[in-house]
Amino acid sequence: MIDSFPPGLIMVIGALLIPFLPHIIRQIYMMILVLLSAYPLTLGIGIHTTVNFFDFEFILFQSDALSLPFAIIFHIAAVLNVIYGAHVKHWKQHVAIMSYSGAAIAAVHAGDLLTLFVWWEATAFTSVFLILASNTNRSFKSAFRYIIIQVTSGMFLLAGALILLNNEGNTLLAKFDINTLYGQLIFIAFGIKAAFPLLNGWLQDSYPEASEIGTVALSTFTTKLAIYCFAKCFAGTEILIAIGAIMTFYPIFFAVIENDLRRVLTYSLNNQLGFMIVAIGIGTELAINGAVAHAFAHILYKGLLFMGMGAVLYRVGTCKASELGGLFKYMPITAICTIIGAISISAFPLFSGFVAKSLIMSALGKEGLVLVYFMLLFASAGVLHHSGIKIPFFAFFAHDSGIKTKEAPVNMIIAMVMASALCILIGIFPSIFYSILPYQMVYEPYDFSHVVGQLQLLTFAAFAFICLWHFKIYPPELNSTVLNSDWIYRKMIPGVLFPLISMISKLNETLGNNLIGVSIKIKTYLATMMTTDRIFDREVGKDGLIIIQIFTVFLIFILISQVF
Amino acid sequence: MKSLIKKFGKINSSVLALCILFLILELIGHRHGETSIEDIMFFPAFFGFLSCIIIFKIGVSLRAFLMKKEDYYDR
Repeated sequence: MIDSFPPGLIMVIGALLIPFLPHIIRQIYMMILVLLSAYPLTLGIGIHTTVNFFDFEFILFQSDALSLPFAIIFHIAAVLNVIYGAHVKHWKQHVAIMSYSGAAIAAVHAGDLLTLFVWWEATAFTSVFLILASNTNRSFKSAFRYIIIQVTSGMFLLAGALILLNNEGNTLLAKFDINTLYGQLIFIAFGIKAAFPLLNGWLQDSYPEASEIGTVALSTFTTKLAIYCFAKCFAGTEILIAIGAIMTFYPIFFAVIENDLRRVLTYSLNNQLGFMIVAIGIGTELAINGAVAHAFAHILYKGLLFMGMGAVLYRVGTCKASELGGLFKYMPITAICTIIGAISISAFPLFSGFVAKSLIMSALGKEGLVLVYFMLLFASAGVLHHSGIKIPFFAFFAHDSGIKTKEAPVNMIIAMVMASALCILIGIFPSIFYSILPYQMVYEPYDFSHVVGQLQLLTFAAFAFICLWHFKIYPPELNSTVLNSDWIYRKMIPGVLFPLISMISKLNETLGNNLIGVSIKIKTYLATMMTTDRIFDREVGKDGLIIIQIFTVFLIFILISQVF
Repeated sequence: MKSLIKKFGKINSSVLALCILFLILELIGHRHGETSIEDIMFFPAFFGFLSCIIIFKIGVSLRAFLMKKEDYYDR
């Protein structure tokens, strides 16, 4: 019975019991839920569970070579999240994290678009509580924007699925053609969740507003679910190479000037997604392996970095570079774990980032995409700058901020040490790591050229940063807001739309008054014509006005449709 | 040498030493890249150093356009 239960579903259902359990039992219970959820993965590749509903077959549990590595890392991340959040006594965030993780895992096992849509929206509605958990005015507004955008993405997905259903008679998750309408709608849906350029504002807006444990969970699932979907449905779609290259490139500059270190990490996340999108766009077996390997490694080291900054936020109450510094002596274990995350994301040899990123760079080299190759190489130096150096340096070193604090809680340290160990193990034993990737391959990341080239690139990029800092060229971090694409809907559109609405409203008022006048004249005329005036036995008030306006608009539409 | 380490700091000097070590490594073995441009001697070193400076320069110049007061969206 339990083995045909779709992975993740038991976490979503089981989360409903969490509020009724005492703290310690709750933590054990959540661990058991994750383990039970992982058990059906032993069934292997194939379609395992389907449900018929209104003559439509929903494929709730399908597993293939692509879904398996995502399922494995999502379960590992869920375990790490449970441990990392163990100090939080209140049940609300635990329910949100468990159901959010479960929804993302279930989405990876969906075999059709309608099932995917259900879980797609479920990830949005469960994760929004992690942003609300901060309990600030800013987080409330941010959560509101977040849910609107996530639901919009779901609407695109649903529209695409319904058109596909109408055209093909099914909504099976397969490779879609970008030149079809449904393909484009689904592509946009995935693109919103993958934080494509200009669609990325929600990511930097909302993630840093979440609670310290919420951001760790958020960084794992939503965007990587989108990466899985792209790999599943749009592998080899060439436009993804260009989009991904832009994604790797531009967030670097934003990350350099951003003051909030958790927001710096969201720009870094965006940049890392770019590497994966480029690889999916290439679409060869080596490239898809690279995208999946990168997603897998990325979840660990990015989670680790967010854990480190979450621990700082929990202890100090801020993550602003301008207010931090010199925390190494108070939080040495957190600092060391964060540095391991920083070294991993920078792709130093013997760490996970290196063995994952090498696959993508080799795939680019093999395909002869020289320009994109150098864009990604440039972005690699940028990653070192903002995630490799800026994050640990400004939080734990730089200058003495005068803040006195203590080391992170034990549960946070355990989670960080586990994530650090995994980052190192993947780097040391790449062949085991490669064995879970979708395609069989023979690849040796540790050859002389790769290692020396990468070490030169990284050490000299680090040396450049050192020179800029040492010779006081690097400007001080400032409390500020860095404009991002969310500016379009937070400032520009309201700036244009509100005056327009006000103008229309005034026009409507004038028109409405005239209509009332006309309607009263009609009423008086009809009253004199009819012996009983039951139809008009009350004053034409607000609702009367609305009815008249609706009819007017309706008539205008009919007139227009007749003319054209 | 001691005065250089004192002036530049221990960690900074260690990074500089590593930079020199990795340049020497290239002289010992044969390094080749994914593209022919990368085969130029010490190319990754130059590329890494210059990229970091360019990123910094562009980032700082963007401050003028993109950096607003902290309460920008709250006003």
